[in-house]
Order: sequence, then structure tokens, then C-alpha cells
Amino acid sequence: MVMDRKIRVIMAKLGLDIHWRGVYLVSQFLRDAGMEVIYLGNKFPEQIVEAAVEEDADVVGLSTLGGNHLTLGPKVVELLKEKGLENVRVFMGGVIPPKHIPVLKEKGIYEVYGPDTPMEVIINGIRESVQVN
Amino acid sequence: MSEETKQTTRLFNKEHIKLIKESYENWFNTCLRDVDREMEGKYFTHSGIPIKLIYTPADIENVNYLEDQGFSGQPPFLRGVYANMYRGRLFTVRQLAGLGAPEDCNKRVKYLLKHGATGVNILFDLPTIRGYNSDDPEAEGNVGHCGAAVDSIWDIDAYFADIDLGSISTSIVTHLPSTSLIIPGMYFSVAEQRGTPIKQLAGTCQNDFIMETCVGSAPEILPPSVSFRMQCDVVEWICKNVPRWNPISFNGYNLREAGTDAVTEVGIAIANAIQTAEELIKRGMSIDEFAPRMSFFWDLHNDFFEEIAKCRASRKVWYKIVKERFGAKNQRSMLMRYHVQTAGVTLPATEPLNNIARSAIQGLAAVFGGCQSLHIDSYDEAYSAPTEEAALVSLRTQQIIQTETGVVNTVDPLAGSYYLEYLTEEMTERIFDYVKKIEDMGGLVAAVESGWLHREISNYNNEYQKKIETGEMKIVGVNFMRAEDASVTPIEVFEYPETYSRQKAKLDRLRKERNNQKVKESMKILREKCHSNENLYPYCIDAVKNLVTLGEIEEVFREEFGLWSFPLIT
Repeated sequence: MVMDRKIRVIMAKLGLDIHWRGVYLVSQFLRDAGMEVIYLGNKFPEQIVEAAVEEDADVVGLSTLGGNHLTLGPKVVELLKEKGLENVRVFMGGVIPPKHIPVLKEKGIYEVYGPDTPMEVIINGIRESVQVN
Repeated sequence: MSEETKQTTRLFNKEHIKLIKESYENWFNTCLRDVDREMEGKYFTHSGIPIKLIYTPADIENVNYLEDQGFSGQPPFLRGVYANMYRGRLFTVRQLAGLGAPEDCNKRVKYLLKHGATGVNILFDLPTIRGYNSDDPEAEGNVGHCGAAVDSIWDIDAYFADIDLGSISTSIVTHLPSTSLIIPGMYFSVAEQRGTPIKQLAGTCQNDFIMETCVGSAPEILPPSVSFRMQCDVVEWICKNVPRWNPISFNGYNLREAGTDAVTEVGIAIANAIQTAEELIKRGMSIDEFAPRMSFFWDLHNDFFEEIAKCRASRKVWYKIVKERFGAKNQRSMLMRYHVQTAGVTLPATEPLNNIARSAIQGLAAVFGGCQSLHIDSYDEAYSAPTEEAALVSLRTQQIIQTETGVVNTVDPLAGSYYLEYLTEEMTERIFDYVKKIEDMGGLVAAVESGWLHREISNYNNEYQKKIETGEMKIVGVNFMRAEDASVTPIEVFEYPETYSRQKAKLDRLRKERNNQKVKESMKILREKCHSNENLYPYCIDAVKNLVTLGEIEEVFREEFGLWSFPLIT
């Protein structure tokens, strides 16, 4: 899929999660890299998927550090599938124990970025993901 | 002091300063290389204060020792709040403890007390922090992570099982004013039921509306003015009823972690303290009734000298405000006492053991700064709440600072460093300016409502991150001297998957066993009182005693006060 328009990204803090520093920064850097970014603030999976439908998103970025990554992350993937949006790539970032990363990927999370990830890696990762189909 | 006496009581005599300035010019022009001279003016502290190559008495020529610095335990308290400082009482070793269910935390608290901790710092999971019960659908996935789940007074009882509440000092890390109306109330009620008078209880709760409206993020936030009213309710009621309790900890720490420099961290906390003081005075209290119980919470970040200067300067600023502006008479009112936590935000996931060094250096700065209590972050900060092993290393780091380094044997041992004293003066001035800026906006509540503080935080973060991305700010092992095989070290994280079902079972039992008529009544009264000018504390205490849950009380608040939208857009 070659993008003939800006990549559209929905960004959200997952559920009751706390601290917006990371998610907001990533949102700004993605925007500065030429993407269309909609930051939702704290939302639950249903609301996130609703926004993804409405905004015709290519990518959903979920930020969490409080421990709900294993339950709510895959839920977003499932709900997207239900809406027929399996092409929407779901990325996660935050404080996620390394051993949970393969579990998340198995459940359909496209990529997980931990602390210390350079912004460039995230930007390129998203760009590449929407070109693979 | 008259201008004339001021001249004659300066620390350095004028003639000598003149000579130093001349010699400095000479040294600067003849001893340095061109490149050194070119670089002058291009070094800055973390907060943007220019750093010179060398400092001399000429940089602090206006210091009048007795007036500007003085002795520990005496105004302006720059050198420390108590005369004998750590010889009298070492800083409290207060490590965080909280994971899983209250019963798990009870074990951790006992473990820390047994290994010499002198205070307990209790943490909650996100549903508890934000005021939801463990079995609320919104709590899914978060129960028992990052802290303990607390739903009712039963949980606080379990948290402190077999621990004498009269003999410990407990910091209850309730971020929000609304939960500070409830959880410390559970603690007080448990003590009462066990026969310990609440007048004996020592501790702190956090209680800061900035935590709700700026630092945290959440799907449901109470409006700033409501959160601020609750903050003042907590301070007022606790000061009158639990005299050894610190009802508020103005939380510079989490604001700093969210993204600010040292000046903003202290400036915002002090602006909050000023508005709180004004509100309580409006309610008929005198400054000396509550100021002695106000405490602060600082983040000790990487810039070693600036952080020490921040601690020293903030004591002086607070002293001047309480004394000169509010006319306090009791000396205790004028003491800025604070807890320190080292800076979690500086601890990367890459090569995590390096974080032991980072945290130890930050902890040392906290002690040079004169803190009253300290938490040293654990090296696994970027992975999870600390494992037992990591928590023990932090505790041991504190004990090493206390007993092996000798830094606690004399008061404020870095005083007199020209650089540190220069920075302290500069920080003092910058904090005052920042506080004034907020007051010119109509105070902190107004500044928050307008979204100004959110923009400050987000602009700061953007610049900070750019410095990391470009390598201007170096982080060892991450973007500087990165090992070729730098990888994420596997760290075992604590997991308590059974917490949810345990809490759910407990809640089911509670709902069955409690007197639901009483529950309804106390909730109805609380609902009505939300719309009065009365202090909400006694009504919350009644509710928790009647086994109303945290989530039920918070739901009343959310319904009665409505919600506020976080003013952030990309």
C-alpha cells in the first residue's frame, strides 16, 4: 500500500493509565514528521476503536505504564478486527516488561516500544508498517 | 538592617572584592585559551542558569552572612530547618511499599521495617489512585499493579495488620485531594478501632490538586476549583483533628517528572501553598494553625549542584513568604520540611544497574540539600514497581550514605562553595519571579484552568526530548557510550494476578455484610454536603466507617461536581 496521503494516527493513554509525558511527546514528534495525529487522552478500547473508525486511522498508538497492557492492548486489536479494520496497525509504548512483548505480538500488536526508544525508530517503524500489506 | 550596616556586615570586604575582580579579568585574559574564552556563556544548568568557568567571592559579593544564610534552625533556614540537623535525627528512610493486595503489602511493610526503615510510604494501584473499586469495569487490567488495591476500610486494616499505628510514621500516597478525603480517613478510623487515639498518629498524605489536573491523566477528572476545595478541606480538618499529621505534601516531584525544570517545580508548589494558605485564612484559620503541618516533596534530578541549591533556596523563599507575607509568629510555620525522591525519569531501561549509581548520587544531593526524609529509586524503575532485591539495594544505599560517608556529621557541608552559594542566590530569585508570574495570572487554580501549566509542561518536554534525540543531552549507555550489544536486561517483575479475584471476593462479602441502610444514608448526606460550604471530611469519615467503598464515594463526587476536560491538543 503506497500512501498517497498523510499517515493518520490515533494516539491514546490506555484506560486508567497515568502520566502523559511519553504519549504526548510521541504524538508531537509524529506530527512534526508529517503525520496526521489525533491525541485522544485517556480512553478505553471501545472509545479508541470508535475514534479509529471515525478518523479513518492507519495506525493506533497506545501508551501504558501501569500494567493494563496485556488485557486492554489486545482488546483494541480484537475490536478493530470486529469492525473489519485488521489493516490498522496497533503500536504500544511505555513500561512493558520485556517478557510480555512476545505475548502482545502474538495477540496482534504490531510493535512495542519501551523506554529509551529513539523517536526516529518509532517514526520509521510506523512508516514502514503502513507500507507492508 | 540599615543600608549602612548592610555594607559593613557583608561577608567580603569591598576592597578585597575589587582586587578579586581585577585579578579575575587578568586571569581570564591571560591564563585561558581562546577556545575557553569563547565557550564562556555557553554552559548552563539544567534550569538554564548560565555557569561560569570559575566562581569567586565576587560572584556572591552582596551576601550578608547572618541575614542571607545564618545558622541551621534559624531564619532564613537556608542552612537547614533544625539546629542540630542530622546529628539530632537522621533523615527518615522512607522507601515505597505497595503491590498487589493489601495483604501482600503488609508483608513488604514488615520486611522494610525489619531491615531498618523508619517510615513507611504506601502506594496504591491506579484504580485506587483515581477512585475506582477493584471490580469496576474501568479498573480492568490495573488492579494491584504499581501499588496496592484499596477498596474499603477493611483493606487498610489488612495493610497494617500486626503493626502498631501509634509507633510508625506513614506516608499515604494519595495523589488526589478526593482520595485524601477518604483513604487517610480509613487509616484514622482503623487506628481508632484499635484503640490508638488519632491525635497520636504521625504521617503525611499527598493531597495535591495539581496531581489530578496537570500531572496525571485520566478519563475522569474533577474540575480544578473543586479539587482545590477538597485539598483545603483535607488540610483544615486534619490540622484540627490529627495534629501530628501532615495533611498536604505540595508535590513538586511528580510535576518535575511530568516535565519541568527545578525552578518551575518549586515555583508551582509554593504558588499552590500560597493559594491554600489564603483559602484557609479566608475560612478563619490563622497561618500558625496550619503552616507548621504543610510539607513539600521534591524531585532530586541529575544536576547535582543545582539540585542542592534548589533545596536550600526553597527553604529561604518559603520562610520569607510565611513570615513577611502571612505574618506567622510560630517558628515552625516558617520551616519548609520536605520529602525527597530521586528522579525516576532519569533512570533508563538500558543497562539498568547503572541506575544504582545515578540514584545514589541524587540521594547524596538530597542529603546535602537537607531533606527530612528520602526515597531512593530502584534500578528497575523503567520495568516495574521495585522487586524486593532492588528495593533492598535502595534501602542499603540510604544506609551507606547515612553511616559510611560521613556527610551527616556536619550541617550543610557544601555551604561556602562560591558556586553553590551563587546558584542558591540565583535560584531564590528565579523562584520568587516564577511565583509572581503565577500570581499575576490570578493564582494557580486560574493558571491551571486556562491550560497554561499544561503548555509549560509540554513545551519543556518537547525541548528536553529534542536535546536527547540530537545528543545534546547525553545519557550514558543510551545515546552516549552505548555498548554495541546494549540490550534490555531481563528483570523479573512482580505479578499479582490473583489480586483482582481476591479484592472482588472481599467486595462481595462487604456488600453482603454491611448495613446497606446506613450506607445509603451516609451517601445521601455526603451528596447534599457537596453543595454546601461545609468541610467534606467528617462526612467521608462517617461513610468509610459505615463501609461505604472508595469507588462509591468517588462516584458521588463525579456525579455531583461533574468532570473537567484536560486542556491538551496536538
